[in-house]
Amino acid sequence: MSLNRRSFITTSSAAATLAWAPKVHSASKDKKYRTALIGSGWWGMNILREALAAGQTKVVALCDVDSDKLELAAEEVNDLCGDQPKTYGDFRELFDKENIEIAIIATPDHWHALNTIAALNAGAHIFIEKPTGHTIGESQAMLAAANAAQRVVQVGLHRRIGPHHVSGMEFLKQGGAGNIGLVKMFVHNRGGKETPTKNSPPPETLDWEMYCGPAPLRPYNRMIHPGGFRHYLDFANGTLGDWGVHWLDQMLWWCDQQSPISVHSIGGRPVRGEAVLNELEQTSDAPDSQVATYQFETFTAIWEHRRFAGDGPEKSSVGCYFYGDKGTFHMGWRDGWTFYPDDPKKPVVHQNSDLQEPDGHNIQLLWADFLRAIETGKKPVAGIEVGHQATTLSLLGMLSMKLGRSVRWDADQQRIVDDEAANALLRREYRAPWVYPELT
Amino acid sequence: MILNTYGNGFGLTWVLLVGAVTIWIPTTVARGEDWHRWRGPNSDGISRQSDWSTRWPNEKPNIAWTQSVGTGFSSIVVRGDHAFTIGHQDGQDVVVCLSVSDGREVWRYGYPASLDDRDFEGGPTSTPTVDGDRLYVLSRGGDLFCFDCVTGELVWQQQIADLAEVRLPGWGFSASPVVIGDHLLVNAGESGAAVNKQDGTLLWSSADRESGYATPVLIPDSQPTTAIFASSRAYIGVDIRSGEKLWSERWLTSFNCNAADPILRGDRMFLSSGYNRGGALYQFVDGQPQLLWKTKEMQNQLHTSILYQDHLYGIDGDMDAGARLKCLKWETGEVAWSVDDLSPGGMSIADGKLILITESGELIISPATPQGWNPIAGGQVIQGKCRTVPVLSGGRIYCRSVQGAVVCISCRD
Repeated sequence: MSLNRRSFITTSSAAATLAWAPKVHSASKDKKYRTALIGSGWWGMNILREALAAGQTKVVALCDVDSDKLELAAEEVNDLCGDQPKTYGDFRELFDKENIEIAIIATPDHWHALNTIAALNAGAHIFIEKPTGHTIGESQAMLAAANAAQRVVQVGLHRRIGPHHVSGMEFLKQGGAGNIGLVKMFVHNRGGKETPTKNSPPPETLDWEMYCGPAPLRPYNRMIHPGGFRHYLDFANGTLGDWGVHWLDQMLWWCDQQSPISVHSIGGRPVRGEAVLNELEQTSDAPDSQVATYQFETFTAIWEHRRFAGDGPEKSSVGCYFYGDKGTFHMGWRDGWTFYPDDPKKPVVHQNSDLQEPDGHNIQLLWADFLRAIETGKKPVAGIEVGHQATTLSLLGMLSMKLGRSVRWDADQQRIVDDEAANALLRREYRAPWVYPELT
Repeated sequence: MILNTYGNGFGLTWVLLVGAVTIWIPTTVARGEDWHRWRGPNSDGISRQSDWSTRWPNEKPNIAWTQSVGTGFSSIVVRGDHAFTIGHQDGQDVVVCLSVSDGREVWRYGYPASLDDRDFEGGPTSTPTVDGDRLYVLSRGGDLFCFDCVTGELVWQQQIADLAEVRLPGWGFSASPVVIGDHLLVNAGESGAAVNKQDGTLLWSSADRESGYATPVLIPDSQPTTAIFASSRAYIGVDIRSGEKLWSERWLTSFNCNAADPILRGDRMFLSSGYNRGGALYQFVDGQPQLLWKTKEMQNQLHTSILYQDHLYGIDGDMDAGARLKCLKWETGEVAWSVDDLSPGGMSIADGKLILITESGELIISPATPQGWNPIAGGQVIQGKCRTVPVLSGGRIYCRSVQGAVVCISCRD
């Protein structure tokens, strides 16, 4: 790809302040969008299957650094719809050679910014899996690029549109739980000490150099790929950077996208044990437990995850508690939502979930909304700003944990207040030849 | 298994490989209808035994005895009065021989092995194989043993990965050794390895690529005698005398997890894997497999389906995401029925009935018919997680939990 990132970013940041003004397609329901999938693993194919099911997708290209994943995906696409997508190992080549109208991006987090900016430069609308960026600076650059390109970006926050989330949010916003003073977001799993796994030569079918891309080149380990990148901080941001983005987004949805004044987080690996990375073996390095507090003007929000101990006495292992002066509201996952009045004599209110299985999501609805946004110019429910804000909160938590102190966030300036050491962590160094998408 | 949780749902959670089968051996006499190897006397998951009954007192499974054998997924095989399995106890793997009448331990043999619980609970995943008075055992790390069934005396021992100079697959070896004549076939390397069953000397080996997790399956009446080996990326027909590859059907699966054994009938072959791979039926034409149909409706992550009469009965989907019990028409792949909320943990068939254990340890008996799932007997038999196939032998059903409880249920009239 012949993308000159630096000149692009300069242009895009100048345009970043423009109001939302997507180009409206006068497309009919017969319109088939020339679609590419970047990252054709498990989740990417989940999205692509929904795209195909919606009937307006022609799959022209697939891209993955794992040629087995690519071959499997191409075979499935062919079986599903007869399309014979071209396959690529390098997204730059794909965007150079193909005329793409929609790009689905489902690579590991550390690739999101460069993939997205390349796709926007190629003129594509984008459906990108959350989080937006791996660092806040990347997410800011993606936001600026999307606004400049005037393309629809839908972030994979399907909980913005899932039926029980919509009805639960209505319940909350109508005051069902009363005046809410505290929100707790959480995910709990089981787990124990982590034994290092031996490194090995990368499989012949994997372009490991390209997998690592802008991240440091570390020894290959089968626990990273396929399917394990989320707990390696070079490539993702652990549980807070994964589940956390969904539940932070629910909280932001409820509070109408307010910004926190300050963020503080602590966490570590007291159970999994110290992270190991050497030539012979490695473990993951994401925290096995973490707490983050977000201080807003009128309420406090807390994130807590632990990858051990199970649910304990709690009824749910995942979700958001909204604590109000009428009771506790639980926004859950497969368990739907439930409101527990503070007066035990009053009845518990419950709504079941309505999800697509086996993976328990609502991508079908989110994809339909994405197409609607492309066709009508209406904002998508989980647009780039929404994704950016939820991602930013999760990354501020990670940043505070690494820094070892709380940070004050200025959302307007997109900067941490009076802490240059902290601001330095808004970005990371890329491994050459990749260039960090700076906002200049 | 990959123990990461995706915010999108619990995905790719785990892989566990219980692909253990032996083969009907024309030149070796199996003892009566003993369930002497994984997938049973006829290598099809079916017992022909009919003199058993679920008319239990109190209408609850009649538990004859329980025993603890250690962590693992190895299923039970039987030779006469003795049952065999493997478990991980006190920092080593232990092969145990139990008395079928009371569960008493007759002999045991421990060998060094790590629990290796990084991706799942750990412990041995292959099932031992009885051949005459010999018992063959393969560890996840590649230690291959031959025991005297009666005394537990070690006859010979080899390290197959070293001997064949091949790597271990990601979760270690999980296939059962398979006896064909004097050959002991092991799924190690790209297309297997064979040793002399008498002394363990290497007969042939294959390329140093990852094996799959399914047990080799003999193609009946094949010329030359052919066994199918699951590699990490294909199912491969191999001349068992020379080790030569005769054909290869490319079969890519996430995590290289080809764990279900091929199912053969006539000139047809069914393959299936999990992780959204699905299944396919092939017909051999001029010795090469040709696709007849494909389906996403039968994704065998760990367990091989069972072909009974004209239908496939199998566990569809990834276990951690909640697998389904399904019945498919063999000829077309069409779904006859599906039970979505059962959480099946393993099953076999005897006398036209499905013998199924749920993941939470409930044993359920239901006629194997395309008409539907209609349990006729059952009850809780184990507290713990079950992913090991329950088997019937000599009027007893043997169930096992991951945590190592073996429960014997009497079905003798």
